Amino acid sequence: MNQLLQLEGVSKSFGGLRALHDVGFSVEAGEIFAIIGPNGAGKTTLFNCIAGAQKPTSGSIIFQERRIDGLRPHEICRSGLVRTFQIVKPFLGMTVADNVRVAAYVHERRNAGADAVARAMLKQVGLDDYADVGADELNIAQLRRLEIARAMATRPRMVLLDEMLAGLTATETEAICEELREIARQGVALVVVEHSIPVVSSLCSRAVVINFGEVMAHGATLDVIRDPRVQEAYLGKVEAVAWS
Amino acid sequence: MRDFAAVAIIIAVIIVAFAAALTDGYYMDIFILTCFYGTLAVAWNLMAGLTGLMSLGHALFVGIGAYSVAWGYTAHQWSPLVTWPIGIGLSIAVAIVIGLLCFRYGLKGYFFAIATLACGEIAFFAVSATTALGRSDGIILPLAKNPELHLQFIAKWPYGLMIGSFLTLTLLAGQFLMRSRIGYYWRSLRDNEDAAEALGVNAMAMKVLSFAISAGVASVCGAFYAHYVAFVDPRSVLGVDISVQLLVYAIVGGMGLLWGPLVGAAVLVPFGMFLRNFSFLQGSEVIFYAVLLIGLALVLPQGVSGWVVGRIGKAKAAAELPS
Repeated sequence: MNQLLQLEGVSKSFGGLRALHDVGFSVEAGEIFAIIGPNGAGKTTLFNCIAGAQKPTSGSIIFQERRIDGLRPHEICRSGLVRTFQIVKPFLGMTVADNVRVAAYVHERRNAGADAVARAMLKQVGLDDYADVGADELNIAQLRRLEIARAMATRPRMVLLDEMLAGLTATETEAICEELREIARQGVALVVVEHSIPVVSSLCSRAVVINFGEVMAHGATLDVIRDPRVQEAYLGKVEAVAWS
Repeated sequence: MRDFAAVAIIIAVIIVAFAAALTDGYYMDIFILTCFYGTLAVAWNLMAGLTGLMSLGHALFVGIGAYSVAWGYTAHQWSPLVTWPIGIGLSIAVAIVIGLLCFRYGLKGYFFAIATLACGEIAFFAVSATTALGRSDGIILPLAKNPELHLQFIAKWPYGLMIGSFLTLTLLAGQFLMRSRIGYYWRSLRDNEDAAEALGVNAMAMKVLSFAISAGVASVCGAFYAHYVAFVDPRSVLGVDISVQLLVYAIVGGMGLLWGPLVGAAVLVPFGMFLRNFSFLQGSEVIFYAVLLIGLALVLPQGVSGWVVGRIGKAKAAAELPS
């Protein structure tokens, strides 16, 4: 039993709209796991249910052998599961270092200690030169790095990354992917929602495909994206299988 | 450290101003009222500028503090040692209840402001109709047999010493909070509540804490006011005027810094009293306030304090540039 995160029968309805139905999969410690699926499939809802921003209608979410469904977001963060946002949400009125310091207070109550953790995390993501400038002066790629630094400052066992790479150039994407691999090597599991199939296949060992709120396929990334049903749902009818 | 330096300078200014005001009762009056509104505005800004919770009902807590003293003293001859804790405790309790209700239903921004405004107005009308609290005539605090024990002094300087010390204490404690985990959590909630919660910030607890501290400080100011003026009525301590005045001081002084609203109060309170010297300008301070407010909103949106700090920052950056 080294399943870090385990979902069983997770469903979420908004009134009559069934956003998720009977979703189940598991993520192991230290792996990079992908959640993929077409637009509107329910990926972000699934994310919100895991991170506590929304409460699943039914089903269970178990993290480190403890049920976390229904907990408040800050409690889930304190249990070692932290998320980033698809649309970055920096604290614009604070400096870059202070942004990370907020997250560092989860484990470090002392002010000097929290500041030291924040600066170490910024160094890790290559933002140490920007530590004392306002967060409103960063560009989008730097803000994504800031999201990673903040998440890592909470000392997580698992990070949920919601479309971390959308809108970045190829160079920026490659640089952030390398950082994500480095984080995974340190034993932190990553769950990514991502649209770019090349990125998913190069980054993630296993994946789950969500379509119309249900699990369509689950397993090793290459097997999953070769699955003809997945290709049809996710990519439309494709004649040539370019990724095989 | 730089923030503490700024607070140290301000405290030095407060001490010098107090010493200067000792020469004349009129100046002491200005000093006392400036400190009174300054403390209130700093407490208000702890919530509004630093936690992102805009309250328009702070008169409620001033009123609770003032009426606790006035009612406790006139009805039971209770000493301030009893009435102050009652006022502070009641204010904090009321703030926690209002906070839990508002934050439970996710009231933010204008909606929170209107909810607090409504609570303040309810108290205003409730007190105006309560015989035990003197209805809209208010309560006069008569001279006690041993006046000092009831904080009744003939000279004004003891009041100046009291409110000046309390302002100093508020600034020091506020600065300490802002540099601690709680202050960082507050500002993260102001900037983005979703992100703060995802990073382990207990939003509900932190917002209620901010509200409770702010209300507690406001109620001390109200209690002080009752002793100083020896008269309370709904208009002077529960009216919406106080709540709106705090907003004006904060906007003029700047909401981004702990001590910003104090600068606003230090400019506007003496200015308003100065205008009152001229009989043909009676009541004109409201017009001056309004013009000043419009002008500052256009020219200095971060307020006076934000402008000063920005200028210092620019000068430093220029000095550090390699020549």
